[in-house]
Amino acid sequence: MCGCGADFRQDRKVSELARVEAEDRGNLCVIRLHGEVDISNDREVLAAIETAVPHSALQLIVDLTHTTYLDSAGLALLLRLAERLQARRQQMLIVAPLGSPVRTVLELTGLPRVIPLEGRLEDAVRESERGVRDGRQESS
Amino acid sequence: MGSGERTPLKTRPGSLAQTFRSNPLSYVGKTLIVAFAYYVAARLGLRVALIERNVTPLWPPTGIALVAFLVFGRAMWPGVALAAFAVNLPINTNVLSAAATAAGNTFAPLVAASLLISVGFRRDIDRLWDAVHIVFLGALLSTLISASVGAGTLVLSGAISAHEFPAAWAVWWTGDAMGVLVVAPFLLSLFQRPWSGSLRERTEGAALLLLVAVVSLLVMNTDRGLMFLVIPFLGWTAWRFQQRGAAPAALIAVAIASWAAAHSLGPFRQGTLFERMITLQSFDATVAFSSLFLAALVTERMRDREALERAADELEVRVTRRTAELSAANELLKREIVERHETDQRLRQREGQLAEAQQAAQVGSWEWFIPENRVSWSDEMFRIHGFLPQEFPLTFEKAVEQVAEDDVARIRANVKAALERGRGQHLPDIEYRIVRPDGVERVLRGKAKLSVGANGEPLRMIGTVQDVTESKMAEREHRIAETLQRSLLPDRLPEIPGVLLTARYVPATSDMEIGGDWYDVVQLPDGRVGLAIGDVAGHGLRAASTMGQMRMALRVCALEERSPNRVVTRLRHLVRGQLDSEFATLVYLVFDPDSGTVRFANAGHPPPLVVRGREGATYLEGGLGPPLGAVGFPDHYLDVTYHLAAGSTLFLFTDGLVERRGATIRDGLDRLKALVAASDEDLEAICDHLLFEMVGSDVSDDVALLALRPVLLASEPLLLRLPAEPYVLASFRWTLRRWLREIGASPQIANDILIACGEACANVIQHAYGAKDGLLEVDLVLLDGTVEVTVRDRGAWRPSGGRGAGYGERLIRGLMDSVDVNSGSEGTVVRMRRRLQAGSQGERARAR
Repeated sequence: MCGCGADFRQDRKVSELARVEAEDRGNLCVIRLHGEVDISNDREVLAAIETAVPHSALQLIVDLTHTTYLDSAGLALLLRLAERLQARRQQMLIVAPLGSPVRTVLELTGLPRVIPLEGRLEDAVRESERGVRDGRQESS
Repeated sequence: MGSGERTPLKTRPGSLAQTFRSNPLSYVGKTLIVAFAYYVAARLGLRVALIERNVTPLWPPTGIALVAFLVFGRAMWPGVALAAFAVNLPINTNVLSAAATAAGNTFAPLVAASLLISVGFRRDIDRLWDAVHIVFLGALLSTLISASVGAGTLVLSGAISAHEFPAAWAVWWTGDAMGVLVVAPFLLSLFQRPWSGSLRERTEGAALLLLVAVVSLLVMNTDRGLMFLVIPFLGWTAWRFQQRGAAPAALIAVAIASWAAAHSLGPFRQGTLFERMITLQSFDATVAFSSLFLAALVTERMRDREALERAADELEVRVTRRTAELSAANELLKREIVERHETDQRLRQREGQLAEAQQAAQVGSWEWFIPENRVSWSDEMFRIHGFLPQEFPLTFEKAVEQVAEDDVARIRANVKAALERGRGQHLPDIEYRIVRPDGVERVLRGKAKLSVGANGEPLRMIGTVQDVTESKMAEREHRIAETLQRSLLPDRLPEIPGVLLTARYVPATSDMEIGGDWYDVVQLPDGRVGLAIGDVAGHGLRAASTMGQMRMALRVCALEERSPNRVVTRLRHLVRGQLDSEFATLVYLVFDPDSGTVRFANAGHPPPLVVRGREGATYLEGGLGPPLGAVGFPDHYLDVTYHLAAGSTLFLFTDGLVERRGATIRDGLDRLKALVAASDEDLEAICDHLLFEMVGSDVSDDVALLALRPVLLASEPLLLRLPAEPYVLASFRWTLRRWLREIGASPQIANDILIACGEACANVIQHAYGAKDGLLEVDLVLLDGTVEVTVRDRGAWRPSGGRGAGYGERLIRGLMDSVDVNSGSEGTVVRMRRRLQAGSQGERARAR
């Protein structure tokens, strides 16, 4: 678990908006994004996630179940994160429950065509484990 | 003999005609009586005639005439003249001589009466001078006339020869004189005021007179020359009864002697006529003079003695009175001495008090006697200048020695101007600095007044000097503190949609020092509102600065900590650790407009007050912990949660609102509760009313009051004017969510609108104003089941770039039913609509 944007001296309003929670499962890292993401804190959130993701993790799941607000700035953040992970050969999945506010945004912008989207974390974990296995098979 | 007034004899000066006219009957009667008396007396006198039947040694008529003139007035002369003529006619040779003699006999007493009146003769003959006058003027001098006229007439008529003239003249003269001396006093004594003598005195008087008569008869019937024996009895009578007794006694003695002489009895048996004449006349004179003078003397002595006695009595009375006066004066004097002493004491006391008062007020007084250039200072004046009282004598130059150089110039200029004006006047007040001998600088405020003489010459200048150093410093500190406090309290409260907020701050009127009351409203990023109210102990600069630090610290903690009790606890640590144990109270309260909940923690502050419409008022008394900075209490604060329904009002206040001299805080709290429950709807009006009722115009302590009332947003269009800055977005979304919820939008649709609005606003923030500050205007209106959102800016859009740039527009168009964008030179307007009921593109998208 780690705080995000705790440096309120730069922009204290940001601090209360979002919280980033990271769970290290070996090859897999689960990032839970709590709260809201907008243009006021997207950079901090991105930096917090990047810091939280260990280099050892082959798979990253960004869980947006507890994200209450996400707009185009959040989308841009996710895209950028995915690009960086791809460059490091790390794969990324997004979890957003059906009918959630975030899900609408993701679907409207066609993000799932770029980044795999699951409705539940368990599905995403299963999917990513398979991806890791596949990846090993491919690489071995 | 009386004490009555003895007026000088006064006869009416008027003429015969006047006297006659005034009372003719009385006049004629009196004249006839006088004439009759004269005639009878004359006949009696002639019975003792020695020469030719008409020259007698005692001629009573002259005395009668004189008394008549003295008593009834000189107008009686016709009676006298008539009677005299009637007496002389038969004894004279012819009518002419009779008339001449009568004229002389009338004229003599008339002159005598006139002379006596002119010298102020008194009929009582009670003074020696009266006796002298009647003897010399009445008896001896005037009768020269009748004697000369009568004796001359006898010679001229041939009744006597010329060589007989001297003897006839002498007998005539002595006869007339004796008539006056013997008869006049007797008759006058009869006209005295009635004698009030007792029976015994009357008996004594009668016996004495009888004795005189008996002794006279005895001595006249012996030829041994014992006539002198009469004198002692006369003296006795005069001594006992004065004229009243002496005159009759003398008359008796003289009458008897005359009778004896006429009949050549006793002592008059031998000798010639002349020798008998001498003897009789000398006896008569002796008797008359002795009785007259002795009586007058005794009377005078008696009167003198009476006067003396009266004087003595009066003296006694006067002495008594004077003594009384003196003793009264003495009393007065004594009292005055006591009063003087008391006055003196009071004066000393007052001088002492004045000195004390001067010392207490730090006011010194001075006096400058200009002609001799002498200055006197009060004790306090010396003290103010850093000396011992009356340490040295002063002149003007010496007096201003310590004054700072440029200030001396101002003082001199003031004094010079006043002296030149040459009239009594007040000098302008002046503030100046002095340096004491120990180097300490003080600020003094001086007042002065000039007195001038009659010709405008300056005489004296007096003045007071007050040491205002402390008050100047206090004034300066007060100014700083006030400025500080003003700058520390929020100049305006944030406008939070759905929350009415108002605040009052009233500084104490009586106290020059400002208090440490403070309040603040913090907008928290999740849409909640933090309200703080507190009171820092003490006054002035220190309290104000503590208050400022507390306020800043609270802002920081409020953003970091979600729980009010954590905020309060951290402030307590700050106060105890950093602010040197300042004693302070605080309520920190967080209101969540979404849920309508209030959470607060209280550090020793008066409890928040909630009014729920008609349900009445309640104090939120839970969660009370120790004041910040109070030592010896555990750091233990609790959050209390309370639901603030729409239409409720929450009040936070400092103790100045409820504390009043002579009443307990509990009373104040009860009064406030009653007032709040009865007050009307408008929040501003309620606050004004509370201040007016609770505090009035005499604000003894600072008062801070903060009121919050949640209101429904949905009843009105939501019109927001926000700085075009990223940080406003979060709270904007909270407001928007609440409004959408209140208008009945489903969570899905609300979320769609929220995101679309967020995108539009983010666009404005990112693109409209560049580096400049700008305003973001968002209006949301519900019209016929459709939410219309207008997002406006006053800037110029720059081309969008960066990642995700295209997503924003795609999202807006995907989430809303319609979107219009109008961009012009005055800015850009994005108008979006979304129906609340039917499906939208978003739902269609979800449906895919």
